[in-house]
Amino acid sequence: MSAKTSVIALAGRVRRFLAAFPLIPVGVLLIVLFSIIQPNFFSAANLVNVLTQASVLLIAATGMTFVILTAGIDLSVGAMMFLASAFVAATLEGGLWPVLVILLVPLLTVVLGAFNGTVVATTGVPAMLVTLATLQVFRGIGGHLTEQQSLVLPDSVRFLGLGDLAGIPRAVWVAAVVVFAGAYVLKRTRFGRHVQALGSNPSAAWNAGLPVRGLLITVYAIAGLSAGIASLVQVGRLGAVQPTLDVGFELTVITAVVLGGASLSGGYGSVAGTAVGALLLTTVENGLVLSGASPYVFDIFRGAVLLIAIVGSDLPRRLLRASRRKGGEAAITP
Amino acid sequence: MKLMKTAAIVAAAATVLVLSACGTTQTGSSAGSTSDHLTIGVSFDLVNDIRNAELASLKAAAAKQGDKIVFVSADQDAQKQASQIQDLIQTKKVDAIVAIAVNNDQIASSIALANSSKVPFIAIDRAVSGNGKVTFQVTGDPVADGKVAAKEVLDAGGNPVIIQLVGALTDQNAVGRRDGFTAGIEAGGQKVSAQVPTDWDPTKALDGTANALQSNPKVNTIFIPSDYLLPSVQSALKAAGRLKPVGDPGHVFIVTIDGDPNGCKAIKDGLMDADVVTPVGTFGEQAIAAAHTANAGKAVTPATSQVAGFPLNQANLSTTESTVWGCTK
Repeated sequence: MSAKTSVIALAGRVRRFLAAFPLIPVGVLLIVLFSIIQPNFFSAANLVNVLTQASVLLIAATGMTFVILTAGIDLSVGAMMFLASAFVAATLEGGLWPVLVILLVPLLTVVLGAFNGTVVATTGVPAMLVTLATLQVFRGIGGHLTEQQSLVLPDSVRFLGLGDLAGIPRAVWVAAVVVFAGAYVLKRTRFGRHVQALGSNPSAAWNAGLPVRGLLITVYAIAGLSAGIASLVQVGRLGAVQPTLDVGFELTVITAVVLGGASLSGGYGSVAGTAVGALLLTTVENGLVLSGASPYVFDIFRGAVLLIAIVGSDLPRRLLRASRRKGGEAAITP
Repeated sequence: MKLMKTAAIVAAAATVLVLSACGTTQTGSSAGSTSDHLTIGVSFDLVNDIRNAELASLKAAAAKQGDKIVFVSADQDAQKQASQIQDLIQTKKVDAIVAIAVNNDQIASSIALANSSKVPFIAIDRAVSGNGKVTFQVTGDPVADGKVAAKEVLDAGGNPVIIQLVGALTDQNAVGRRDGFTAGIEAGGQKVSAQVPTDWDPTKALDGTANALQSNPKVNTIFIPSDYLLPSVQSALKAAGRLKPVGDPGHVFIVTIDGDPNGCKAIKDGLMDADVVTPVGTFGEQAIAAAHTANAGKAVTPATSQVAGFPLNQANLSTTESTVWGCTK
């Protein structure tokens, strides 16, 4: 193989990598920028800090990726997390064992998610409307359970958010397990392929005899499971349940998934891409505080990064399409 | 089938709209009063500890007069608050509106509606702006509260390295507390090392505090503009191994504002140094009195009242706690 062929092959691999993870260059640019402004930014301690702070978003966004892949959406995720947190506070006050509370939370949110999925799958009402309604219901129940008060939680239910394992915070371990499990299920199992097929072409999925209703119920249940685990990590980190907890968090979760390259029309997206999106969002917040930016600059910078990331994320795909048109590359699935 | 689907969509949309518009109503009343006993519509931006205390003070003052309270919460949604106040004025026919605005500018349309309907509009806790006529306004004094918090820091002496958490920048209370604290600290020859924006979001407060502690390990003082964010800051300090009791060499000096049950408990537990207490009981008494004055056809003078907070700290805990709403719950 000549040197020229090797360079062309390498360039092709780089283009494919960038097409799969278009946010990486934006992330690298941000890391360089923040490191110049604040040398502490690029340190092992701060890397752990960013991973810890991203953990809740990583977990919730992993579940949302499944939903968005089916061209669905779950606007109730933030409210579900609040309800789960309120459930923790209320059941502890009711005298339930902390271990039992921790085990019951994911069960509760799976049921809530499956409820969303059942309504979406059986009524044909758009997921946005269904989950907008359940958002109100879940937040209302949570508010009723806590009586809209700030409740401080004991350490006994903060296991997943406090402390570390082998020097890495438990929250990061939990997030890593959820992300890897989500990626495995989506990429390596028949269920994952069915989810992608359903999102790509629902009619074809029906005609092919896929259990569409069951798939929809399952993906919303997965989003519920993720929300439950995320809420356990969150109350572990925060140590309290407060009335405005997770208000609007669903939009951050959806942003992470879309930034990660998923299409809101369904059929395209990956858990790995979502993880990069979540880490990018968290890096921006972390870097802005560390760099000592004025609070007024935060929104401007956040918006600018989002815009650059969204425009930039499409650039590699356009380059790829352009190179295909020239016939220089083998066909690659976008 | 298609008809059923359409009907389901319409029903779901209608449910959401109704839920959004209605929020939470605690005490119902079908019509305004005809005697000295008023029906007063109370619209809050949200419900939390301090709002519950403010509502309790309104209810207590109203009960003395034999008034009815119709309460709604907007869940921090300015549009929802406008709809709720419209409902209170036009459907419930209340005799007065007492409101804590979600947004001090966006409340203008509700003030205009109250003015055109000849219903007195009383703002409490958060100052409102706009062209309409506000019958009476009673608020805390956020700038003065910030200065009291700064004085607590300066009185502690030493060489403070200060993190300042900031609430939502659209909230006058948050901006006033920030400005008052900064001015007080600078007047004492010190400076704020870093500001942490929070939008009143507990998670942002947790992450922002962790980041600020990470970037500057010498931080030994934290100003929190509301007790609402105290658990987040304590969790960040705990995760960093820096949540030490008052008197411990590694203790981080903490001062907050509000005087809520968490703040009071933290001072009693020796984990926090000072809290600037908002005298919420005064809000209710003054607001209900103003509603009666206005309904009697008289002008409320003065039309604005600012009530500064007072400090609760380790030194005056035993003598002051009985006057702090968060300590008596």
